[in-house]
Amino acid sequence: MQVYEAPIRDMRFNLEELHNDDGFGDLEGFEDFDEDMRAAILEEANKLCRDVLLPLNWPGDQQGCRIENGVVRTPDGFQEAYKQFCEGGWAGLVVDQKWGGQGAPHSLAKMVEEMSCSTNLSFGLYPGLTGGAMVSLEAYGSDELKNFYMPKMANGEWAGTMCLTESHCGTDLGMLRTKAEPQDDGSYLVSGNKIFISAGDHDLAENIIHLVLARLPDAPAGVKGISLFLVPKYLPNEDGSLGNHNNAGPTAIEHKMGLKASATCQMTFDGSKGWIVGEPNRGLEAMFAMMNTERVAVGMQGLGVGEIAYQSAVYYAKDRLQGRSLSGVKNPDGPADPIIVHPDVRRMLMTMRAYNEGCRSVATWVSRAIDAEHAAKEPEARERAKDFVALMTPVVKALFTDLGHESAHHAVQVYGGHGYIQESGVEQFARDARIAQIYEGANGIQALDLVGRKLPDRMGRNLRAFFHPVSQFIEDNAQDEHIGKLVASLQQSFGALQLSTGHIAQKGMKDPEEAAAAAYEYLHLLGFVAMAYVFAKSAKIAHQKLAEGTDEEQFYKAKLTTVQFFFDRLLPPATAKFMAIKSGKASMMDMPEDAF
Amino acid sequence: MSDKSIKKVCVIGAGTMGAGIAAQVANAGIPVLLLDIVPKDGDNRNAVAEGAVKKMLKTQPAPFMSKRAAKLVETGNIEDDLGKVAECDWIVEAIIERLDIKQDLYAKLEEVRTAGTAVSSNTSTIPLAQLTDGRSDAFKNDFLITHFFNPPRYMKLIEIVAGPQSDAATVAMVSDFVDRKLGKNVVNAEDSPGFIANRVGTFWIQQSVNAAFDLGVTVEEADEIGGRPMGVPNTGIFGLIDLIGIDLMPHLMKSLTSTLPADDPYVKIARSEKLIEDMIESGYTGRKGKGGFYRINREGGGKVKEAKDLKSGEYRAAARPGLVRGSAAKGDLGKLIEMKGKVGDYAWAVLGPTLSYAASIVPEATKTVVGVDDAMKLGYNWKMGPFEMIDKIGPAKLREKLASSDLPVPAILEQVGDKTFYRVENGKRQYFGTDGEYHDVERPEGVLLLEDIKLSSEPLAKNGSAALWDVGDGVVALEFTGKMNALDEQVMRMIGKAIELVKSDYKALVIYNEGSNFSAGANLGLAIFAMNIAAWSEVEKTVKGGQDAYKALKYAPFPVVSAPFGLALGGGCEILLHSDAIQAHAETYTGLVETGVGIIPGWGGCNEMLSRWMANPRHPKGPMPAVSKVFEIVSTATVAKSAADAKELGFLRHKDEITMNRDRLLYDAKQRALAMVDGYTAPEKPEYRLPGPTGKAALKLAVDSFRKQGMATPHDETVAAELAYVLTGGNTDITEIVTEDQMLKLEREAFMRLARNPKSQARVEHMLETGKPLRN
Repeated sequence: MQVYEAPIRDMRFNLEELHNDDGFGDLEGFEDFDEDMRAAILEEANKLCRDVLLPLNWPGDQQGCRIENGVVRTPDGFQEAYKQFCEGGWAGLVVDQKWGGQGAPHSLAKMVEEMSCSTNLSFGLYPGLTGGAMVSLEAYGSDELKNFYMPKMANGEWAGTMCLTESHCGTDLGMLRTKAEPQDDGSYLVSGNKIFISAGDHDLAENIIHLVLARLPDAPAGVKGISLFLVPKYLPNEDGSLGNHNNAGPTAIEHKMGLKASATCQMTFDGSKGWIVGEPNRGLEAMFAMMNTERVAVGMQGLGVGEIAYQSAVYYAKDRLQGRSLSGVKNPDGPADPIIVHPDVRRMLMTMRAYNEGCRSVATWVSRAIDAEHAAKEPEARERAKDFVALMTPVVKALFTDLGHESAHHAVQVYGGHGYIQESGVEQFARDARIAQIYEGANGIQALDLVGRKLPDRMGRNLRAFFHPVSQFIEDNAQDEHIGKLVASLQQSFGALQLSTGHIAQKGMKDPEEAAAAAYEYLHLLGFVAMAYVFAKSAKIAHQKLAEGTDEEQFYKAKLTTVQFFFDRLLPPATAKFMAIKSGKASMMDMPEDAF
Repeated sequence: MSDKSIKKVCVIGAGTMGAGIAAQVANAGIPVLLLDIVPKDGDNRNAVAEGAVKKMLKTQPAPFMSKRAAKLVETGNIEDDLGKVAECDWIVEAIIERLDIKQDLYAKLEEVRTAGTAVSSNTSTIPLAQLTDGRSDAFKNDFLITHFFNPPRYMKLIEIVAGPQSDAATVAMVSDFVDRKLGKNVVNAEDSPGFIANRVGTFWIQQSVNAAFDLGVTVEEADEIGGRPMGVPNTGIFGLIDLIGIDLMPHLMKSLTSTLPADDPYVKIARSEKLIEDMIESGYTGRKGKGGFYRINREGGGKVKEAKDLKSGEYRAAARPGLVRGSAAKGDLGKLIEMKGKVGDYAWAVLGPTLSYAASIVPEATKTVVGVDDAMKLGYNWKMGPFEMIDKIGPAKLREKLASSDLPVPAILEQVGDKTFYRVENGKRQYFGTDGEYHDVERPEGVLLLEDIKLSSEPLAKNGSAALWDVGDGVVALEFTGKMNALDEQVMRMIGKAIELVKSDYKALVIYNEGSNFSAGANLGLAIFAMNIAAWSEVEKTVKGGQDAYKALKYAPFPVVSAPFGLALGGGCEILLHSDAIQAHAETYTGLVETGVGIIPGWGGCNEMLSRWMANPRHPKGPMPAVSKVFEIVSTATVAKSAADAKELGFLRHKDEITMNRDRLLYDAKQRALAMVDGYTAPEKPEYRLPGPTGKAALKLAVDSFRKQGMATPHDETVAAELAYVLTGGNTDITEIVTEDQMLKLEREAFMRLARNPKSQARVEHMLETGKPLRN
C-alpha cells in the first residue's frame, strides 16, 4: 500500500521553530509568505499531492511512457494532473513574481517538492526540469530571451529540459560533440544527438524549451569550448503562438529500472534553430547555475521517497498480524500482534523516521541559506549563506539519496514477501529511488566535489559556515541539563569530523588520491554530524516546549525519542567512519588491476 | 687579506651610482666623502652632492639602511674639496662615462691623492688601459675598475678588473673591503668591453626582443616562456625592460656596439624597433614613465593590466596564455627548447644564441665558467648561470642543436665533450676549466654555506619543515625547510630535537637557512584552516607549543645564535627574540606584524620585546615608557627596514652584530656562538612590575586619537586593546610581580580571543589571498 499524508507538523516545526534562528537574520522580499500563508500553502500542496498525484503513482509505473509517431505519450491521467498543477500556480512557486511566478522562499518550496517527490517522483520531474531550465535562463539569458520565454515557462504552459549527456560523455562533458553554427541573424543552428534527456518530450505542455550544450565551430577543445543554447521544440511566432516544428525531438525512450512514468529520451537536433544563453564557450557556467539547484532538488527526491516508504511501512507494520510480542500479548482479541511490536521492525521504522526528520531539518537549513544568499540583509550573512550552500549541496544530494534508497529497502523488508511482489507498491519506491543516486552527478562525484573543491576552496572557507555554528552550539550547550549528554556525543562526532577534515586537507594536498579515497565516508560523516546538530537543536526546543507546557506533548516527545534513537543507534557507526577515513587509500589501491 | 685597510672612502660623482655607492659605504659604518661638480647657478657650491644625499633619504627602495648612516656622508665639490681625498684610503670615481672628463679628473687626483691608496672607476664601458693612459706608474699601480650594479645597496654583484700594472695588494684590499664591508660578491673580470654581466645580459635582452618580433610572439607569451621556465626573473623579458626603463635600451646598445669588434655576435643582432623608438619618444618608458610593454589601466575606476600589441602598437587587456606546462614550466630546459610550436621556437630562439654567446666569452671576459655564472646570477638575478643551464640541457645536446641551427659552437663547449661544466667530487663542487681539468669551486675565507655542507653530509635530523646540520666545530644549524620557511608544529618539534642533540653531543646552535627569506612567520594557511573548522583547541595547542619550544631555546644550557636575513616576520621575529645573540645580515627586515592579520604575537614576542625595552639603558626607567614603546612598535606592525634599523627598534640588542655579506652569515654566526660557549649560563627568568588597567587606559587614549584621525580602524582598536591588556600585565598593578609564565598565559588568552573573532579571520584570509593586510 502506498500511503501518504504530508508530515506538515514536522515541516512547520522546521520552518517556524527550528530554523527561525539559524543566523542568517531577516530575509527581505518574502513578506507575503508569513506563517499563516506558509501553513496554507503546505495544506494545499498536501491535498494536491495526496489526492491527485499519489493515485497516479503506481498506475503510472505500470503503464509507463510510450513513443508514438515521434511524440512521447505520458501515462493516463498525467495530462489532467499537470493541468491542475499549473492552474494551482505550483509550476512557478519559486519563480520571481515579475515573470508571473509566486516568488515563494525555497525553504517553503522545498517542502512542497518533498511532497511531490513522495507521491509521484516521475510526475515531479516534468515541472522540475522546467524549473531548472528557468534558473539558467534567468541567470544567463539575454533580456529578450527572458522576456519571451520566462512567463510561459513560469505558468507551465511551456516546459523545459536540460540536454547535456551524449552517448560517449556523461560525467566528462569536455568530450561532447553537438555543434552550433552561427547564423547571420544572430541565431544558431544546433545539430547533434543527446541521450538520457529527462522530460525530453511529452504531451503535458504545448511546447518544450530545450537548453542544449553544444560547441561553436571555433571552440577550443574540452570544457572551455562548450556553449549553452536555447532550442524550442516548436519555433514560436512573435505573438507567442506556435510555428513550425524545429527538428528537435525524441528518437527513442529508454526502458528503465524505475521512474517509468518519466520519459527519458534520446534526442536528435538536426539544424534546429537556437539562441545562445550567456557567453560563448562559457556554457558550463550557465549550466552549473541550474545544476546546483538541481542537486539539492535531487536530494529532496531521496527524502521524498524515504518519507512515503516510511509511512507505507508504518501502515503495514500496524496492520500485519504475525507472532506475539516478546513482552507479552498486545492484541489479545486478534490471532496475533501487529508486527510493529517487534524490536527489529522498530529498528527499521525508527531508522527511516530518523533519516527523514534529520534530512528534513538539514534541508530546511540549506534551503534557508539558498534564500539568504540573495535575501539576507547583511552582506556577511549573504556571503556565509553562499559558502554554506556550496559546502552542503553535494552532501544533500548524495546523503539524502543514499538514505532515501536505504529507507525504500527497509520498507520492502518490513513488508517481507509482500514487499517484493509488485502489488504492494513498495518495491516501486526502491526502483524509483535508485536513479537519484546516479543522475545530476553520481554520488561518488558529489563526494569528490566535496573534498576536491568545496573543502580546500579558500583554505577551507566554506567549512566555516558549518563548523562555527556547530562549535558554538556545543560550547553553549555542553552543560545543558536536558541535552548535555546529546551535546557530548555531538562533540565526539564533531571532533571526528574535524580530525577527518584536517587529515584529508593534509594528505590530499600531497596526494589527491588519498583525498578521493576518503571522500565518500567523509561526505557521510559530515552529513551525519549535520543531522546530529539539527537534532540536538530540535531536542533543545522540544524540552523547552514541554517545560513551558504544550498541547502537542506527543509531537515533542516523539521528536525527543527520534533524536535519542539517532544518537544511540545511527550516529555512532557514522562517527566510526573516521577510522575508515584515517586508514588511507592503500587497501583499495594496492590491489593490482590483474587481481580483479 | 692585505695589511692595508680602508678607513675612509671618497666617491666622486653623485649620480645614482656614485651616491648609491657612498650610501653603502656609510651603511657599513665607514665615513665617506661624496664630491661632485660645482653647479653653474646658485650660491651653494656643494648643492649637487648635498641634493643627492637628500634625494636618497626619500628614495624607495632606500639606499641608506638608517638615518645614522646618512650622517657619515660628508658632501663637497671637486673644486674646493679635492684636497680632502688625501685622507681617503680608496677613491671611487663614478662620474659621467666620458673618457676625456675621466682622464682630466685622474690628472687632478694624481696631484692630491696619497700614493699607495686605491683609486677605482665604476665605468661599465671604458677599457682600463684607456682610462689610465698618460698617468704615472704609481697611479697605474693603484688603479682598478670596480663595477657596481644598480642599486648598489641591493645588487650583490661587483665586477673587479685589474690592469696589467695594478698592484695585487691594492686589488686584494679593495676586493676584501667590498666583500666584507659592502657585502658584495666579487667576480674578477678581464678588461674587455661590457665586462661580463652586461655583455651577456644585453645580448640576452636584445635577442629576446628580436625573437618576439621575428616570431610574432606576444609580450605575454614571451614573458611566460622566457621568464620562470628559464629561471630568469619572473617578470620575463618585457616586464624586466619596463622595470629598468625602456629608454635605457638604446644606451646599452650604443655603448656595447661602439666598443665591441664588428664581427661580435652582439653587434650583428643589435637593432632597434620602430615601435620601441616611438614608445620612448612619447614617454612610454616603462614603469617610471606613462607605461611600457605593460601598464595598469585605471580608466573608469578599474584596474586592468594591459599589454602592448607588438604588431599594432596598441594596448589591449593582458592575456594569460598558459602555454608552458609540465616539467618544461619547472626548469627542464631540455624539454622547453624541444617543445613543439611557439613555446619551443621562442625558447630556443632566446636560449640558443644566448648560451652560445655566453660560452664564447670565456676566457676573454673572465677566466672561468664560474665567473660567467656568478655574474649572471648576482647581477641579473638568474636562478642558474649560463653554464649551469647548459649542463641542464646537456652540453652534447646543445652542441648538436647549435650546429643544426647554424649557430656558433664556442671552443669551451667543444672542449667539454661528453662531460658537464660542473660536477660534485668527494663532496666538493668542481668546475670545468679552460685547461680541460676540473677544479674545486673555491669560497673566500670566512664563507660557509649550507649549500656546500649539503654536498658532503647528511642532515642530523629532518622532517617536513626543518632539518638539523652539523656545521663543524661542535655547532649545529637549524634550517627551516617548509614552503616559504613557514613555521609550524614540525619546526617546533625539530627545535625540541635540536636542544636534545646539542645538549648531549654539541656545543652550540645556530638558526640559519639559505631560502629567499629567513622566515615570514607561522603557516597562516594552516592556521586559517584550523580556524575555519573551529579547531580551537588545536590552535591553542599550536600557540602553547610555540611558546614552549621558544622558551626551551631561550633557557637551553648552550648558546643559541639566530642568523636572520631578508624577511624575519611574526614567529620568524619571535625566534630571534628568544636567542642569546643575533648575527643579522644587513638586509634583514624583521618585525612583529601579527596585528596586520588581526592577532597579537603569541609565541612570547610581547614578553620578550617588553623585557628588551625594559633592559634598554638608553630608555627612560619605569614600567610605562617600555610598555608604551613596545605597544607603539607592535600595534602598528612596524617592520625594521634593515638590521641597523632593527637595532633602533629593539628587535636586535646593541650587542648583536651585523654581517654585510650574505655568504658570510653562517660563518660569522657560528664564530659568535663558539665565542659564547665557555662559561655560558642561560638567562635568568625575567619578572615584571606592570601598570595593569591604568596603563591600559592610557594606551587606549592613544588609540582613540588614532581612530579619530582615521588612522585606526574599528578592528585595529579591538586588536590594540588586547595587546594593551597583555603588555600592561592584565589585571595587575605596580605593586605586584608578574612572572614570565603569567605573561605567556595572558598572551595566549588574548591570542585565542582574537583568533575567534570573525574580523581577525577575515584579515588572515585576505592576507593569504592578496598578500596585503585588510583594513577592517
